[in-house]
Order: sequence, then C-alpha cells, then structure tokens
Amino acid sequence: MTNIPIVQVCYLRLGSPKVEESARFATDVLGLQRVGAVEGDVALRGDHLYHRICLTEGPPEQQSIGLELADEAHIEPARAVLQAAGFPVRDADANECKRRYVRQALITQDGSGNVIDLVARPAHSGRRYFPSRDAGITGLQGIGLRSTDLAKDLLFWTKLLDARISDRVGEITYLRIDERHHRIALYPSGRKGVMEIALDVESFDCIMQSNYFLRERQLKILHGPGRETASGQVFIRFQGPEDCLFSYVHGMREPRAGERPRQFSSKAESLCAWGSECADVPELSVPVT
Amino acid sequence: MIELKEISYVRFGTPDLQMAESFATSCLGLEVGDRSKKSLYLRSDDRAHTLCYTEGNPEEQAVGFEVDSEENLQAAAATLEALGHPVHSGTPAECAARMVKAFIGFKDPTGNSIELVVRPARSGRKFFPTRDIGITGFSHIGLFTTNPVRDEKFWTQVCNARVSDRIGDISLMRITAIHHTLAMAPGTKPGIQHVNHQVASNDDVLRSFYFLSGRNVPIVFGPGRHPTSGARFLYFTGPDGMTFEYSVGVDEIEDEETHRPRSFGFEPSSICMWGSKRVGQGIPVPAARQ
Repeated sequence: MTNIPIVQVCYLRLGSPKVEESARFATDVLGLQRVGAVEGDVALRGDHLYHRICLTEGPPEQQSIGLELADEAHIEPARAVLQAAGFPVRDADANECKRRYVRQALITQDGSGNVIDLVARPAHSGRRYFPSRDAGITGLQGIGLRSTDLAKDLLFWTKLLDARISDRVGEITYLRIDERHHRIALYPSGRKGVMEIALDVESFDCIMQSNYFLRERQLKILHGPGRETASGQVFIRFQGPEDCLFSYVHGMREPRAGERPRQFSSKAESLCAWGSECADVPELSVPVT
Repeated sequence: MIELKEISYVRFGTPDLQMAESFATSCLGLEVGDRSKKSLYLRSDDRAHTLCYTEGNPEEQAVGFEVDSEENLQAAAATLEALGHPVHSGTPAECAARMVKAFIGFKDPTGNSIELVVRPARSGRKFFPTRDIGITGFSHIGLFTTNPVRDEKFWTQVCNARVSDRIGDISLMRITAIHHTLAMAPGTKPGIQHVNHQVASNDDVLRSFYFLSGRNVPIVFGPGRHPTSGARFLYFTGPDGMTFEYSVGVDEIEDEETHRPRSFGFEPSSICMWGSKRVGQGIPVPAARQ
C-alpha cells in the first residue's frame, strides 16, 4: 500500500474555556482576521484559505489538526491504510465537516493520541485576507506537536502518511511534506498536544517589529528572536492564551534533493544559531553548552 | 572644497590600555595590528589600523579622513587657516604614530579634533577577527555637534560631504556612495559619539546581541533597523563609556545628481523602524558623559 499523500497542514482546532478572550488575542496580538463561524466557534484566517485556526468552546486539550488530502479520491485509500495499521478512523459527519469548512474528512489519531483530521476540499475565501494588525502574516508555516510515543508517531507520519524525516535535534524530529525543510516538528514530551503554531511572516523586519510589539505589551516571549539551526528560519516564540505557544517565522530553507537527515546534539545552539535560549517550555529547554 | 576620500581611523586616549585591548579583542572582535609602548593599533579590515588606543585622557579623541595628496593637504590647510581654524602639521613622529605619510590636524566648529591624512598604511596580512563576528571593516562615526545646522554647512561647503538624510536637524552625511560616514549627534561638547564597524550579515548582528548580552556588555540600543540607511544595527558600550555599533546593509546612494535628502521627525521610529528604544531614554539623544 502506498503512503497517504498530504498536501498541507490545513487548520488547527483549539479548545478554549474563554473563546472570546482567545479570539481577541488572535486578532489584536497575532493579527489574524476573524471570519464568520458556526455554533459558537470563532474562525480565523491568515491567508487565502477560509480559515486556519478555529477556536471552540471547551478545555484546551480539545484540539485537532487538519491535514489536507489531494482530493476526495484519496479518502478511501487513506481509510484502508489507517485501518490496516490499527489506527482508529471514522468519517466526520455533516456537521463536523461544516464546522471544519471541508467537503469530507476522516478523523483519526497520531501515535500519541493527537486528533488528526484528514480532509478533502477545504474552503478557500473569495476575499483577500485583511490583517487585524500589521504583523505581516502570509500564512501558516507549520506546527510543533508534543509526542508521547515517538516510534508510533514516526510510523504514523512516515509509514502511513508521506512525511519524511528532515533533521533531528536530540530526539526532536523535523518532518517534511513539501519543498520546505519541515512543516511538522515532533517534540518528545510527557504529554500530547499542539505545542506550537508557526505563522509565516513577510520578512525578517516583521519578526523584529513583533519582538518589540510583544515586549511593549509585556507579553511573554519564550524563545528568540532567533534562528532555527536546522531549518534556517528566523523565529520568535511567545505565549498564547491557552497551552499552545505561537511563533512568527520567516525564511525557512528548502533542502536540495538527496539531503540526508542530520543529527544535532541536544544543545541550545541546535535550536537557535544566534544564541537565544528557552527556559520555560520543557520540550524546548535543552542543556546550555 | 576639501575632498575627503575615506574615513581612516579614530584615536582614543584611555587610562587602561589593557582593558581596552581586552574589550577590543574579546568583545569587539578586532585584531591587534601593532603596538608601541603606550599605544595599541587595532585592525578591522585591510588597513594597517582603524582604531588606536593611547594611554591618556579618554576625552582626547580624534578622527582621521584620507585626502588624495600632499598638495591637496596643503591646499586644505590654507583653506582652513583662512576660515579661522588653526592647523597643526603633523611631525614625523606623529605621522609614524598614525601610520600615515603626512597629516594636518584642526578643530571643526564644535571643537572636534579632525585629522586629514595622506597615504595611510594598508596591511599585507589579511584581517583575522579575534572572534566569529564577521566584521567587514570600520565604516563610520557619530560625531557630537553643538550646532547641527552650522556644522552641516562646514562639512558640506568647506568639505565635500553631502547630506543623505536628516532626522530633525541632525544630518547623516556621505563622502562616498555609502549612505553615511558622518552622523551628527546633538551634544554639549565635542567628542565621538559612536564608532561603527560593518558586519557581513543579520546573523552577525543578532549573534552579537546574544554574545554581548551574555557577557554583560551593556546593550544601549537595538537590535534594530535604521529607516534612513536601511541598516540593521546594535549599539553597545565599550571602554571609557564609548558607544560602539555593528551594522549591516547600509544603503548606497548612487545618483549623486538627483538624490534629495528625506526629513524624518526627531522621534524613536526615525532611528529604529522595528520599535527598539534607546536604553535609559525615550529618544536617542546622547547620554550624559562622565
């Protein structure tokens, strides 16, 4: 059986006990644009897709990650692959598809139990994205996931889906699904969940402007401004309203064909080539040199 | 008109030559080019030296600019004396101490010590920095002025500087295509306000931010980006309270015929477009000097 081909990380669904407060953070701080949603959800966009983040009323652990399949023809083969490997899989019902702005979806889980939606035909927007602040967002770069069972997660991502290992820092694993160095990063952890949502911005200037913007508002900067060693992208990581951290990123490199995965030691310099350190996120707190 | 070709060096007195050397090498990343009993010559590029520390008073500061020939030097001396700036002709010992063939010294209208030099020495050996800083060379200075409008006239009419942009009345002036070699800084007495070395990339600026912060070198401004020159910068404090700057990506002005200086208001966003603020004060006016 061939691997399930994934086009992109499509959306994130995040639970929040205070949806309106989280929504304010998403517009006023992040700069995403709020769009019309159903049933108390708050939907937010940052590019051409109808939405990239959906806030739902509920505990922060209530999360799912939407991955786009090329089209509906891939749904049945995907179901077969997941079932054969013993992963739970069910169809999203009509209401679930409506809330996800997709035509069809399979709901499954990765090896750690993170809920994964495999979706077909996600909605695009007819209108241009208009930012809520000049953060320079151009789209969703990718996500960081906490992994409680790395072996099973790697089986899910690289044997069932078509991701490839790009590089590693200790056991932190960067996964590639398209031309970019990585779109998904797995961080070994004691618990599961979406650790990070990385938003692409126009330029290095935007990252630095956001650095001072966040500091002025005394929002907690967790890591950076820095330069991710393996991927080359400039980043700044900061605390979101719930468990998840957000980052602005820019300039991720596109590896040449035939590059083999490199192993970096578990050191701060392997996560940031400029020398920044992250003390407050256990999955990112590697020993200082 | 006095034709300044290039900025050549800065000279500082210091009470503690050893500390100056330690900072210049382990923090700034400059290379010791030469030393004499009381002087230390530091390199940042292919020149024999671009920064000279001499045992003495830190308030004794000078900047050297290269002019083309000894004829031009004599003509400049005559021009300056006619304008009422007394000129000192460098003695052979003084020339040797500056690694130049000849020079004259005078005071600009604020009282800054300016030297015009002929045939400053280059080095045969490639510059090798003392740390991985990516320095490409000594590039410009900030110079205190007690009257920005008067001093701009001096530099642009008596000398060949051109205004690239202004922030309030403060002019940023070029003598080559590089956006500025002289940045005026409002002050109450003469002196060099900052010394800039160019580095090769943004990585060098940001790495230095973490490196210097880790060694408790005071970061006084940045990391930031000047909207005037476009350069990404970092300012920090060195020996005797002198401000040093690393920057990368200074614009070049090629169209001498048509370039018109822009006017920026005297406010923080005119100095940094990212939003950094000078530590200790809201706007980048020079800190009171010791």
